[in-house]
Amino acid sequence: MIEPDVLVIRYGELALKGGNRARYEQALARNIRAALRPLGEVKVRVAQARILAYPTRRARAMARRAAEVFGVKSVSPAYSVGADLDAIVERSREVLMDALERDPRPRPIRFAVRAKRADKTFPLASHLLAREVAGRILPGPEFLKVDLTDPEMVLGIEVRGNENYVFVERIPGPGGLPVGTSGKGLCLLSGGIDSPVAAWLSMKRGLTVDFVSFHSFPYLGDSSKAKIRELARAVSHYQGPARLFVVPFTAVQEGIRDAAPERYRTVLYRRMMTRIACAIAEREGHGALITGESLGQVASQTLENMGLIDAPADRLILRPLVTADKEQAIDLARSIGTLEISNRPEPDCCTVFQPRAPVIYGKQKHCVQAETRLPMETWIEDAVRDMEVFAIDSGESPA
Amino acid sequence: MSEPAIYLDNAATTPVAELVRIAMAPFLAGSYGNPSTRYAAGVRASEALGEARRLVQRALGAQKHKVVFCGSGTEANNLAVLGAARARKAGAIWIGATEHASVRRSAEAWQAEGGGPCRILPLDGQGGLDVARALEQIDAQTAVVSVMAVNNEIGTCYDVARLFAGVGRIAPGAHKHVDCIQALGKLDLDLEDLGADSLSISAHKVHGPKGAGALVVRSEARLQPLIFGGSQEGGWRAGTENMACIAGLARAVELAVAHQDEFQRSAAACRAALETGIEGLAGLHVRRTGRAVDAILSLQVPGAPGEVWQHHIEAMGFEVGVGSACQARTAEISPALKALGLADHEARQVLRVSFSRETKPAEVEGLARALRTLHPRLSEVRP
Repeated sequence: MIEPDVLVIRYGELALKGGNRARYEQALARNIRAALRPLGEVKVRVAQARILAYPTRRARAMARRAAEVFGVKSVSPAYSVGADLDAIVERSREVLMDALERDPRPRPIRFAVRAKRADKTFPLASHLLAREVAGRILPGPEFLKVDLTDPEMVLGIEVRGNENYVFVERIPGPGGLPVGTSGKGLCLLSGGIDSPVAAWLSMKRGLTVDFVSFHSFPYLGDSSKAKIRELARAVSHYQGPARLFVVPFTAVQEGIRDAAPERYRTVLYRRMMTRIACAIAEREGHGALITGESLGQVASQTLENMGLIDAPADRLILRPLVTADKEQAIDLARSIGTLEISNRPEPDCCTVFQPRAPVIYGKQKHCVQAETRLPMETWIEDAVRDMEVFAIDSGESPA
Repeated sequence: MSEPAIYLDNAATTPVAELVRIAMAPFLAGSYGNPSTRYAAGVRASEALGEARRLVQRALGAQKHKVVFCGSGTEANNLAVLGAARARKAGAIWIGATEHASVRRSAEAWQAEGGGPCRILPLDGQGGLDVARALEQIDAQTAVVSVMAVNNEIGTCYDVARLFAGVGRIAPGAHKHVDCIQALGKLDLDLEDLGADSLSISAHKVHGPKGAGALVVRSEARLQPLIFGGSQEGGWRAGTENMACIAGLARAVELAVAHQDEFQRSAAACRAALETGIEGLAGLHVRRTGRAVDAILSLQVPGAPGEVWQHHIEAMGFEVGVGSACQARTAEISPALKALGLADHEARQVLRVSFSRETKPAEVEGLARALRTLHPRLSEVRP
């Protein structure tokens, strides 16, 4: 088995960002560097609409890791080669044989060579180079069958002058925008399946995400808090370090339980969460709140009630899953690695606070009426003052 | 919470005793030998292993029997139940209604692999074993009978000796196993007196390290090993011996048995302290279940679910266990509580308070005062 010595990392739509392009490229390179560094020594640089990474070891693991970084379209673990045709042919043969040995698919495999000549001083044009290499390395029709329209295996050759490489593998990335290029969001993390997925989707669009969670000790124990921390850590794998604010919420829940109409409890709890989250966002510079709400999923997520939960906000509330089915959220949670944690049976809100029959189509005036009797300003001040702040270490070194 | 909490969940685990730590220390430092090797370091390890085995045998009066060191009490139970069943090729496994999952799941695995059915022994109205009825149901085609000596959630003592005497007459070929993991240090455990073929113990329930258990088993018992490899532990449990944990287990067992009488007295005093301390609080009482040890108490609470009580108690500086989780999402109600005939909502309102020989009655009085403080607030909460 031969070891790749360079990772060719392609990015998608951020190439279109015009004047901002350099900033986006630098952000992406920085995020890739932060993601790869825990795996070993690596140099990362931007080069001609590509990012190139040079690992000293564990190149394949680094390629898989780079393919998780938002903004990345695809990653190829590649093999560098000199600029003359014979060397390219030799290297191509070696890489192809290695790829064939490791490929379990039945033979013959449909195959093509695709070459790209960015260096115009190279004597052969792209299509001629591809044809020349293919002609000289094809092992025989029982192994590979040339198919230029629908190949299963593609040998790529890029000739860029001082740097040329060949590769076979192409690991798809998640796309999106580099984390940090769209600003900062504050995600309300509940311990359920949806909110970590909402955080992940927001990161995908370039937001750096911090987390806030509401905790009713001693109605709930430390294990609920530990689960929240673990969820924040798991999803931060995709962005780097973050912060988690854990807000003591007992006084709010007891106050609402004792003073407000039972059916409105859940909506009123959530309106307070909105207010407290906004206060934190204001202090910490988050441009938007993020929630995992999905239209119609539970009583508090009807159009009416989401509107009521929205109303006290002084900034945008992003709900990336608003139109998603539960199954879609579950599938995403599974693929990003948060499902198992979310499924752990750990209460996120104690049943003793839940109304027997929550209101489904709440009215603004009833909320406002109930809230006039509540010490909301004190609650918000207390929450922001007394909240615990956890540094969430995603396992990555800081960007 | 600045002061360390007072720990009253000793049926879950216990703190490691200083003397146990001292017994373990050499094997985490200079004494690295593998007891299967023949040079000096190995021979010393082999001698230490033999010494640990003798300590356990002496403490449990099991000099004639084998002691198989395992990775946990769970493994010891697996080895006894599944290992004995497999050695018999076919037949039913009878288990108690409130057995620990390590026994229950082993019997279910036996059923799933087609060896024979998993059957549940009947209880009497007090939560004890109904031996007479059990003996009517068990037949000669029985491979294994496995019961616990003391229940881990409610402290009930089961009449193992009477059951096993009857089983011996009806199904002489059956392997009779008793799970003594909670009983160790609380009751006299003697394979002969119990009429058992094997008994399991666990170190961390008696101030020993986690990750250490043992099966005391008659030399002539038929067991198939579950872990394959070298010939350690007489071929019944392969794998290089965990010397530190084995040394810790042996010392912990020795201490548990040596302090048993003393612990019985202090546990009775602790129990009395709790019962007296909560007298007159509506809906709050220690659940009585026939014959039971004083060290494991089942506390019925009113109003809020057990878990809410647990966290409020924690906030006042006491750690207690909970009988069954409070949320619908964790819907599984403990089989032990169900076997007592508790309704689901009652089972969600059960706390477990359990003592170790380090627990002092004054600490339990403190818990009773905390319960008294919380009672007005939490007994009014809708469950």
